[in-house]
Amino acid sequence: MECKFVPSVCSYCGTGCGVIFQVLDGKLVGTLPMKTHPVNEGKLCIKGWNLHEYVNSFLRLKYPLVKTFGRFIKVRWDEALQITADRFKEIIETHGPDSVGVLVSAKITNEENYLAQKFTRAVIGTNNVDHCARL
Amino acid sequence: MKNKIKEWLKSGQIDIFLGYKTLQGHPLPHAFGKDNLEDIDTLITGSNYYPLEKIATKLVAEKPDIKIGMITQDHSQRALNVLYIWNQLDPENIKPLKGDGCSSNLKEHADDSHREAGKSGQFKKQFGMNTHASIEEAEIFAQQERFQRWMYEFQKCIKCYGCRNICPVCFCKQCSLEHSNLIGTGSLPPEAPIYHLVRAVHMAGRCIDCGLCEEACPADIPLRLLYRKVNAIVTELFDYETGSRLDQSPFSIIGESITLKLKPIAAA
Amino acid sequence: MTIKRINFLQELLEFMGLGGRLHLEWISSAEAQKFVQVVKEFTEKIRHLGPNPLRGFTLNNLTLDVGAAAGTAAKTACPEPKETVAQN
Repeated sequence: MECKFVPSVCSYCGTGCGVIFQVLDGKLVGTLPMKTHPVNEGKLCIKGWNLHEYVNSFLRLKYPLVKTFGRFIKVRWDEALQITADRFKEIIETHGPDSVGVLVSAKITNEENYLAQKFTRAVIGTNNVDHCARL
Repeated sequence: MKNKIKEWLKSGQIDIFLGYKTLQGHPLPHAFGKDNLEDIDTLITGSNYYPLEKIATKLVAEKPDIKIGMITQDHSQRALNVLYIWNQLDPENIKPLKGDGCSSNLKEHADDSHREAGKSGQFKKQFGMNTHASIEEAEIFAQQERFQRWMYEFQKCIKCYGCRNICPVCFCKQCSLEHSNLIGTGSLPPEAPIYHLVRAVHMAGRCIDCGLCEEACPADIPLRLLYRKVNAIVTELFDYETGSRLDQSPFSIIGESITLKLKPIAAA
Repeated sequence: MTIKRINFLQELLEFMGLGGRLHLEWISSAEAQKFVQVVKEFTEKIRHLGPNPLRGFTLNNLTLDVGAAAGTAAKTACPEPKETVAQN
C-alpha cells in the first residue's frame, strides 16, 4: 500500500491556500488544509475541502467535443482547434474583434494566463479579457 | 525512537508508520514505508498536529488488515480510544508511539494542548464568545445575552464543513449535516443554531478536545468551548470521560443490555 | 435512552441561552388529570419565558439587538483594552 501526502496550492481562486493531498495507491482520496501555510493558516473553504473530488469526477471533460446540429461530437484536438479558429475568424470578420471576450481561469498557470491575455489583445485585438479570480 | 520504528517496520509488526516530515519547508504528515528505511531519519516531532487518526481510519477502510504505527500525543490517544470503541480501528493493528508534542506551557486554553487558539479581538469579546473563555466564564451572562452571543458566533459560519472534515472522530459515511430533512443543506448562511447544535450533540461522548475544529474554522467560532461544555454535561450526568476509558458512550444504543434481554415469559 | 438525551439536551440549551423550553414527563393514558396539569404548568412557564427568540431571527435584527445591548454589555463583560493586551 502506497500512501503519500503531497503539498499543493488550491486552484479554485486567486487566494492560493495551501493544501495537502492524500494519495492512496496513486489515487487522490482526500484534501487537508496546510497549517503552516502563510495564506490560509490551516483553514479552507468548502471548495478547498473538496478539491480532490473534481480530479476523479465522472463529469470531467477529458477530450474536445464539438457541438454540431445540437449534439456533442468527440473530435481530435487538431480538428477541434481548427474549427474554433475558423469560427472565431468568421465572427471577428463579421462583427468586429470586440464581439469576442476571453475569461481565463485560476486553474491554469500564471504563464498561461499571460499568454491568454496576450492572445486576446494581440491576435484577436480586443481588451475584453478577465479572470475568474479577480477578487 | 527512530530505531524503534525501523525495528517495527523490519520485523513486520507494522506495515506503515504515520509521522511528520519536513517537505518544501513545511512540516507535513508522512507515511513511512518498509521499502525506504533511511527515510525514517527525516522523521520530525514537534508542535504540529494533523488528524493522523483520521488518516489511519481511511487507510483501514481501504485495507482492513493493514498494521499502522503512528506518532501520538495525549489527545491522539483519546482519539484512538474513541475509534476503538466505535469499531473503526482495531487496537491490535495500531501501534501508537508517544511523541513529544505536548511540550508547551500554554495550559490556560487546554489541559494538554500546545496549540494556541486565535486571539479574540475587542468586538468578539464584546458581542460574541471569547475563544479563550472557560465554561464558567461563558455562563456568567444572562440567558438572553448568552443566546445573542452564541448566535453572533454561529451566524458567521460559512458552512465549509471544515469542523467535520478535520475531526479525527468523525467517521460516519452518512452525515446528518448533509441530510436535507434534518438541516437546510443548500442555504447559506446555514440554519443557525441548528447546524451547530446538531454537530455539538453528535460530539457528546465523542469529542476528545483536540482543538482541530477550532483551528480549521475560518469564522473563528469557539467550537472547542461548545464541545467542551457538551462533554462536561456528559461527564456530569453520566460520569463518562470521553476517550479516557474503553467503555461504550452513554448514548450508544448498540449494546444496551436491557433492550436485548429476553422477557421472563419467553424464558419460562 | 430518552431521559438521557433529554437531560443532556436541556443542559445544552441552557448553555446556549434557550433554557427551560424543553420538558419531559411520563404520563399514562389513564392519567388525564396529570396530563392536564403538566400541560397547564408548562404552557404557563413558556408564556412567562416569552416568544421563541429564534422566530424571525435575522442577521439585521441581531446587529440591532447587539447594538442596543452594547451599552450594558460593554461595561460588564468587556475588559479594558490594556487588560486585553496583557491577556493575550
